[in-house]
Amino acid sequence: MTSATEAVPAPGRGSFFGMRVREAGWGYAFVLVPMAVFGLFFIYPLVYGIYISFFEWGILGKAPGATAGLQNYDTLYHDQVFHRAMRNTFEYALLVVPLEMALGLVLALVINARLRGRAFFRSAFYVPSVVSSVAITTIAIYILNPDGLLNKIIGSDQAWFGDADTALYSVVGLNAWTTAGTVMLFYLAALQSIPTDVYEAAAVDGTSRWRTFWRITFPLLKPAHFFVLVVFGIGALKVFDQFYLVSQGTGGPEYSTLSAVFYIYQEAFKSANFGVGASAGVVLFVAIFLLTLFQRATVGRSEIG
Amino acid sequence: MTLQTSVATAETFVPPRARSAVAGRVLLYVLLVAFALLFFTPFVWSISTSFKTLPDSAFFNLIPDPFTTEAWRSVWNDYDFKRYALNSLFLAVVVTLLNLFLASLGGYAFARLRFPGREVLFVLILGTLMIPDQLRLIPVFVMLTNWHLIGNFTGYILINLVTAVNLFFMRQYFLTIPRDFEEAAKLDGAGYFKTFWRVMLPLAGPAIAALAILQFQGTWNDFFWPLILFGQGSEHLYTMQLGLAQLTLTYQTLWPQLMAGSLIAIAPILLIFLVFQRFFVSGVTAAGIKG
Repeated sequence: MTSATEAVPAPGRGSFFGMRVREAGWGYAFVLVPMAVFGLFFIYPLVYGIYISFFEWGILGKAPGATAGLQNYDTLYHDQVFHRAMRNTFEYALLVVPLEMALGLVLALVINARLRGRAFFRSAFYVPSVVSSVAITTIAIYILNPDGLLNKIIGSDQAWFGDADTALYSVVGLNAWTTAGTVMLFYLAALQSIPTDVYEAAAVDGTSRWRTFWRITFPLLKPAHFFVLVVFGIGALKVFDQFYLVSQGTGGPEYSTLSAVFYIYQEAFKSANFGVGASAGVVLFVAIFLLTLFQRATVGRSEIG
Repeated sequence: MTLQTSVATAETFVPPRARSAVAGRVLLYVLLVAFALLFFTPFVWSISTSFKTLPDSAFFNLIPDPFTTEAWRSVWNDYDFKRYALNSLFLAVVVTLLNLFLASLGGYAFARLRFPGREVLFVLILGTLMIPDQLRLIPVFVMLTNWHLIGNFTGYILINLVTAVNLFFMRQYFLTIPRDFEEAAKLDGAGYFKTFWRVMLPLAGPAIAALAILQFQGTWNDFFWPLILFGQGSEHLYTMQLGLAQLTLTYQTLWPQLMAGSLIAIAPILLIFLVFQRFFVSGVTAAGIKG
C-alpha cells in the first residue's frame, strides 16, 4: 500500500497520501472520546474488578498488608448465602425464560392472527416492557399484598412477596408478565418472515391448525427460540431491581429473593466487602460469558432479523 | 329430536374446515380479551387507587369514593417528586444529548473514515457489550469514590457518556447511506467534521430519533446506577426511580401515594411511547441483532 502511494508523484496540496493522513487523524479524533469512555469505564473496570477480587478490600481500599490470593473465592465457595443467591438466580432464570417464551409466543400468535384492533393490543402488551421497573414492581407489590386485589379475586390471604415459599415464584410471574411483550415482538418479526405458501400447502393438505402449528410454525421459529432463550436467559441472570424492591432491600424472607447481583450489592454496600463482592462479580461474569459462547456456537450461524 | 336433526343438518352444510376456522377465531378473541384483562387490570387498578383516600384504598370499589387528587398533590410536593422529576429529566436530557453526539461521531468514523487499527478498536467496542454492569459495579464505584465523583451528577454522566450499543447502532445506519453525498460535500471543499455535521448527521435523522427516544427511556428508567451512586445518602440527587423506590420501601401501605408516584414515574415514557411507537419497535429489533 505504502509503495503504491509513494509511486504516485505528489500532486501538491491535498495529495493522496496527505489525504490519507488527514483522514486517519480525523478518524482518531472522532473516536477519541468514545474510546476513552469504553477504555476507562468498561475495559479497565473489567481488569480492575478481577484485580480487586484477589485482595481483601474494604471501604478505604485495599486492606493494609493484604496479599493477593484466592481467599475471596474461597469465602464464596463456603458461603451458604452466596450458594443460595446463585441457586435463586438460576432457578429464577430457568423458570422465567420458558414462561416468557410461552407467553410471548402465544401473544405473538394472537396478534398475528389479524384480529380487529391488533395494532392497539400489540402496543398494550408491550407497555409493561417500556416503562420503569420500579413503578411496575410497586404496582405489583400493591396488587399482591395480603389485602390486595389478587387475593380478593382468588379468595386467599397469601403474602406473595412476604412468604419465603412464594416470593421467588411471584417475581417470576411478575417479570414474565413484564417481559412477555418484548418477546412477543421478536416472535412477531419471526412469524412474519415465514413465507405464506408454507401455510397454503398445509391448508390444501387439510392439515388442522393445531397440527400446522406444531409441525410447521413451531419448528420454523427455531432461530427465534434460540435467540430469545439466550438473550433473555442472560438478562435473567442479571436480575436485581424487582428482588430488591419486593424484599424492601433485604433479599428476604430467608434469602428467598437474594439474586447474584443482589449479593454483590449487599457485599459491597452493606458489608463493605468489596473483595468478596468483586469475586462474586467475576463468577457471574464467567457464567454469562459461557452462555454467550453457547449462543455463538448454536445460533451464531443461523441469523435472525 | 327435532333439534338434534336440525343441528345435524346444519353441520352437513358447513364444511368442517370453515367451522374450525370460526371456532379458532372465537378462541382467539377469547384469548385476546383474557390477555387484555391481564395487562390492563393492574394499570386501571393503580389509577383508581391513586385518586382514593387512604381509608377508601382498603376497599375494592373501582370508582374512588370520595374522588380526590390529594395523593398526587402530596407525592409531588411533600414527598419531593417534583425534585426527582427534575433530576431525572436533567440526567436523561444530558445523557441523551451526549450519546447522540458521541455515538454518531464515533459511529461515522467507524463506518466511513479509514485509519490504522480501526477494525481492532471496533471489535474491542463490541467486546465491551459482553461486560455486564454487575461486574463493573464494584470497580467503577471504587474508581469514582477515589475521584470524588460519588454523590454528584458528574460521575453518573461520565460513565454514561456513550454506550457501545448506541455507537454500533449509528455505525450501522451510516453504512446504509450512499457515499455520493459525502463525495459531493468533498468536492465543495467541506472538511471531515463539516461533512459529518452538515451532511451526514441530517441524513441520519431516523436513527438519531430512535436513539434519542431509547436513550431517554433508558436513563429515565435507570434504577441500578442511581442507587449505587446516589443511594448512599445523597437525597437531593435522587432520580425518579430512586425516589419512588425510597417511597415504596418506607411507606409500604400508603397505597394512594405509591400508585400516584408510580404513575408519575411511568407517565413521560408512556407518552413518548404512544407518540413514537415505531422507533421503539425498530430499536428493539436493532438491539436484538446485536445481542
